[in-house]
Amino acid sequence: MKGWRGLAVGAAALAVAVSGCGTSTNSGSTTETKEITVWLMDGSAPTTLTDALNKEFEQANGIKVKYEVQKWTGIQEKLTTALASSTPPDVIELGNTQTASFADQGTLADLTADAGQFNGGEWLGGLKDSLTLNGKQYGVPFYAANRTVIYRTDLLQAAGVAKPPTSRAEWIDAINKLKAANASNPDFQALYLPGQSWYFLLSLIWDEGGDIAKLDNGKWTGTLDTPQAKAGFEAYKALYDASAAKKVPADIDEAKPQQMEVFGTGNVGMMVGLPWELGGAVKAKPDLADKTSAFPIPSKKAGSAAPVFLGGSNLAIPASSKNAAAAKKYLALLSSKNYQDQLAAGGAVPGTSKDTSKLASNAIGKAMADSSPNGKVTPVTPKWAAVEAGQNPLKDALTAYLTGAKSLDQATKDASDAITKAMA
Amino acid sequence: MTAVKTTETAAPAGDLPPALPPAATGGAPRRRRRGSAFDRALPYLLLAPALIAILWLIGWPVVSVFVTSFRQLNLGELVRGEIVWTGIDNYVTVLQDERFWDVSLRTVVFTIAVVGASVGMGLGIALLMRVLTPWVRIALQIAMLCAWAMPILASTTVYQWMFDQNYGILNKTLVQLGFDSFAGYSWFSSGTSTLSVVGLLIIWQAIPFLAFSLYAGLVGIPRDLYEAAGIDGATGWQTFRAVTWPEIKSLLMMVTFLSTLWDFKVFAQIWVFREGGPSGESTTLPVLQYLEGIAKSHFGVAAAISVLMMVILGLITFQYLRKLLQTEEGKI
Repeated sequence: MKGWRGLAVGAAALAVAVSGCGTSTNSGSTTETKEITVWLMDGSAPTTLTDALNKEFEQANGIKVKYEVQKWTGIQEKLTTALASSTPPDVIELGNTQTASFADQGTLADLTADAGQFNGGEWLGGLKDSLTLNGKQYGVPFYAANRTVIYRTDLLQAAGVAKPPTSRAEWIDAINKLKAANASNPDFQALYLPGQSWYFLLSLIWDEGGDIAKLDNGKWTGTLDTPQAKAGFEAYKALYDASAAKKVPADIDEAKPQQMEVFGTGNVGMMVGLPWELGGAVKAKPDLADKTSAFPIPSKKAGSAAPVFLGGSNLAIPASSKNAAAAKKYLALLSSKNYQDQLAAGGAVPGTSKDTSKLASNAIGKAMADSSPNGKVTPVTPKWAAVEAGQNPLKDALTAYLTGAKSLDQATKDASDAITKAMA
Repeated sequence: MTAVKTTETAAPAGDLPPALPPAATGGAPRRRRRGSAFDRALPYLLLAPALIAILWLIGWPVVSVFVTSFRQLNLGELVRGEIVWTGIDNYVTVLQDERFWDVSLRTVVFTIAVVGASVGMGLGIALLMRVLTPWVRIALQIAMLCAWAMPILASTTVYQWMFDQNYGILNKTLVQLGFDSFAGYSWFSSGTSTLSVVGLLIIWQAIPFLAFSLYAGLVGIPRDLYEAAGIDGATGWQTFRAVTWPEIKSLLMMVTFLSTLWDFKVFAQIWVFREGGPSGESTTLPVLQYLEGIAKSHFGVAAAISVLMMVILGLITFQYLRKLLQTEEGKI
């Protein structure tokens, strides 16, 4: 009987969740809020910002803030469980690619009427689109960031690369020079590039004129098997092959292990990453601060930057939150200029302020600002989240192609079909 | 007897005269006749808390999974607490997906292979333990206890390090031994290879329990049976066939049955290694259930997969279940 029980235990959680939420649907409770729970993501806002924000909020409203930092890995599953519970967090941060699916399921509070108090006039366009469903807003833009090539100035100089590359060919050339200059170190990665860095793959596909999927008459079809998208895969392979003598395995992504930790070992010349990842590396090894800089991902066309995936986050209030009024006050405070400027100074494109002057003050911010006009997003559809959450077809295609398990044609066709199926 | 004694102690509290000392009363039948309805219900009442707890903890979730499999239960319905009945739609969705059949077949083959290997090796070690000198045996037992005590995720992580493409000790050792092609060899390049590594890990984790259980069974076999076999001039194999095997057969069947249940629903190890990859080739039914239920938030479909898993598990263990029921009726 053990097996039956084992199978049943998995369902027990579900059963408890179901019965739990059956009694908790009346969210319009009038009891006084004493505490709100805020979930922000690892690497989102600098601790100095959140400390000041939480302190100001607590003093102004007399409401305690239970502030918890979550990891990105497995966040979708965690949010699902949390939203179905009777005591969900009151403020959550959602990746911009996930927001549509959570809004579509009616799990997020409609904030359209309150946009005014969240600085609605200055919202960042790309993020605003990602939280808008059928003309209604289900969140507040938090911040956006895009990937740049983060590099070690000292190593590039030593390898004889005088200025940052401005085309893909120059970039590969720089990688090869770096590799040659550090040939004595067997663990050296001129470019740290795991095989499944799929956000970076998107840059290359877009740079070649391809895309993930196209929308025809309300129906999404995968377009990874077009010649343009295939050229993107080929560019990835060229960079992957050049990246190091001992390449990073083709079946891991940039989060396992965290590429910032690898960068922090000092054996890495460049990585394609986000500002907070450099922040993490510097935290582990403070002397990197003076030896790092960044340039936009170079396009194949000399002198311009490749399009980048506009990553970012939105803030939302779960529809089942019992403290929605206090949560709105919290969001209003966070959307104010003071905190948005702090976000920008921390190296992110602020979500509710058009003033990005603070951003360009450092090298990585400047590189980001240079490429962000070319920012693109994954297909805006509630179905997209399922593509990312499960077994991501883009990652599978990359691994299969890079290891030679499948031909380029086969790998891209399989991925395209999988995406068409997932978005049907 | 327990019930009778309880009646005795409960009696003074009631309105019965405490005149009769326990020794003076007659046999049990008289006492039972004298008992009130409460007395007769008492054993059941005493059992009730345990029974209710078991039904609530085990019975209700099973019923809940079954009921959920006929509902459309996505994230929205879950959060809003809506109940949407869809009949057998979830089953149609699952059964029409050709992937389900691939994954089912893979799961069954994987389970049979892992159970066969782990029970076989467990039995081998149990037989070995009987003939070892005490000190060696104790060392072996301690080693196995350590392996057994290791948390699943910890040992899975260690295995990941061992099989790491660039820094794993296995590849490094193989290269040192002269097999240069293993430099940077990926053990997770195909589903079969990935599941082999996962299978090895599961076998390693399962052997201590199997070996200890079977060793306990072997120790219980009377020595004189072996002496008799020795006098008759039986070879080692013949002794095993004629003496050992009949004695541990039922125990062996039981541990095989348990192993089947455990190995069929293995999730953590497979997920931690490559999340069912590459390209979904190491996806088994529990992983598929997780992908549908947790990753895609289609809980109804996931529940349907659970029910189908129970059906498949029932089919695999049908023979044993039948024998088990027969045994209870006293036929063996």
